[in-house]
Amino acid sequence: MLGRVRRPLAAGLLALGVLFVAACSPPGEEQTGGGGENTGPIKIAIANAQSGQLSSLGAWELKGAKLAIDEWNAKGGINGRQIEIGVFDSQGDPTVGTNVARKIASEGFVAMLGTAESAVTIAMAPILQQAQIPNITSGQSPGLIAVKSPFLFLNGPTSLTYDETLAKHVVDQKGLKTIALITNNGSYGKGEHDSFTKALATRGVTPVADQVVTTDQKDFSAALTNIRQKNPQLIFVGAEEVQSGLIVKQARDLGIKAPFAGAAPQGTPVFLDTAGAANVEGTIVSTPYLSNEVDDASKTFAAAYKTATGEEAEMHGAKAYDGAQILLTALKNSNAAKGKELADAIRAVKHKGLLGDFAYDDTGVGIFATSIGTITSGKLVPAAG
Amino acid sequence: MQVFLQTFIGGMSLGAIYALVAMGFSLVYRTMGLVNFAHGSVVMIGAYIASTFYLSVKLPFALAMAVAIGVTGLIGIIIERVLRPLENKDFDLMLIGTIGFGIVLEALAIIIWGATGRAVPSPVPAAPIDLGGLRIRTYDLVVLAIAAAATALLVYFLQRTKRGAAMQAVAMDHQAATAVGIHVGRSNAMAFMIGAGLAALAGGLVGPLLYVSPAMGGLLGIKGFAGAILGGFGSIPGAILGGLGIGVIDSFAAGQFQGYSELVTFLIFTVIIMIRPTGIFGERTVNRA
Repeated sequence: MLGRVRRPLAAGLLALGVLFVAACSPPGEEQTGGGGENTGPIKIAIANAQSGQLSSLGAWELKGAKLAIDEWNAKGGINGRQIEIGVFDSQGDPTVGTNVARKIASEGFVAMLGTAESAVTIAMAPILQQAQIPNITSGQSPGLIAVKSPFLFLNGPTSLTYDETLAKHVVDQKGLKTIALITNNGSYGKGEHDSFTKALATRGVTPVADQVVTTDQKDFSAALTNIRQKNPQLIFVGAEEVQSGLIVKQARDLGIKAPFAGAAPQGTPVFLDTAGAANVEGTIVSTPYLSNEVDDASKTFAAAYKTATGEEAEMHGAKAYDGAQILLTALKNSNAAKGKELADAIRAVKHKGLLGDFAYDDTGVGIFATSIGTITSGKLVPAAG
Repeated sequence: MQVFLQTFIGGMSLGAIYALVAMGFSLVYRTMGLVNFAHGSVVMIGAYIASTFYLSVKLPFALAMAVAIGVTGLIGIIIERVLRPLENKDFDLMLIGTIGFGIVLEALAIIIWGATGRAVPSPVPAAPIDLGGLRIRTYDLVVLAIAAAATALLVYFLQRTKRGAAMQAVAMDHQAATAVGIHVGRSNAMAFMIGAGLAALAGGLVGPLLYVSPAMGGLLGIKGFAGAILGGFGSIPGAILGGLGIGVIDSFAAGQFQGYSELVTFLIFTVIIMIRPTGIFGERTVNRA
């Protein structure tokens, strides 16, 4: 009750601050498409959770996107026009997200990067579609595709890809058949649950336990004790970073020895810190961005990221960086177009990014592969075999 | 049976934390008749200070907790001091004032520690105790012991010391208390200070169990508040029982109803409150609102 009352208020204050910053930029945008006849900076909105439980995602996303934009600005912007960022706090909350979407639409932003939460992005999508503002999201729920907005693009694979690759690895290659599931009932967890169950079903595997928790839950004794009794070879976790970490920590405390598996969140430092390095040893992760040392591009990115933020780069920053690069390339190719023209330009971009080679299809998905890594001595390394 | 007992143990551990939060709510309420809506945020600040001194300054955990309790106690005094002019004048404004303090504290935490949050490793590295397949975390036992000790101390303070008795007197009738020479403002400040200290205790202890972030106060505040109401708002034993009750109900609801556990927990809570509107230990010492 209290939190619910307080958060919108805090958001209001924050949004006010953002508004103020945004208001300082020169006006003169019109919603009509086309044309390099405009001068002045190009306004891009970055909307993400900057407060609340999912703010670590938002912080990474912002750093990644900002890095790309700063690089472009340093090189002279797009056709001589600088790119201006407006940062919005969605708090990881769909209701706040819709307000943010309306603000973005009314303040002349040509495109939006974010959010990292599928549920929030789905809530914002109709407003952005109506305002003809292209949106490159970091969400990965299949629900994003179901929205069928021609203005919505993903900067990574969907859960289907993550979990299909994971199922292929654990069932087909490692031959594990007794698998337990623990997922949360939020948009992300639900997507993971459905995608992984589907990938298992096509292989004739039925999970031995299927435990669902709430997104706010902190104590998993009941769910984990149930799983322990089934003695699975592998436990699939479909939850965000912190919650996944707590699940693994409590599972180890309960004496569960089976390795865990999951998608993107399980490869992040927050997951590792929350669970404790010893507890996550052997976790199998399906991710499009294994590490900062995969190739030259990721090394360059990681170095630049470290210089700009003082932190080690990780997957979410890389995804946001890719997304921003795609958007900026599209802006350049279309000579700073807007609306539908810009959306078409994004769809046409072929980008060799950190996550792989992007080529968008009609659903707004540009990449269809992930790799499998295992956490070994506190680091995510490519899985053998 | 094993699932049942393990679920119970899991519920008790968080329940002890809720109980500490509930005690803070109740203490301020019984003394001033005020619900301190900033309480959840004070818990969060306590967790941050404890974890900062434990992780960054590398103090022993107990010492870090002591620092956290001291600092938040000070915050409690400040909150009371700012709100004091409103005491007995405008109750609604006081309530809103505490909500305001909650927002300020949350914003402060974001400014000081960033929005990302941090994980705190358990200060008790011993492996969980295995009792015939039941696993009990050693840290949980520490939490329960500290919660019990804090309760005993608080009860002793309220019933056996002069200042405690003065606070009880203010709770019963503040005008009469003033008449016999008790400084009501000081008594209120004391309630706020002890309440905030309890919040820091809960926050510091919950850090290694959960994850310290600026948003953590919301959930702990709500559950602790529910615990206080369940036990009988204003009653100290009630807060303990209510907090533990909420933890255990929560844990079992999670096992039975999975994704709908939150809903079920609060449905059960509502039903209990409908049957016993004054909570388990339903003596309302205060009615000044």
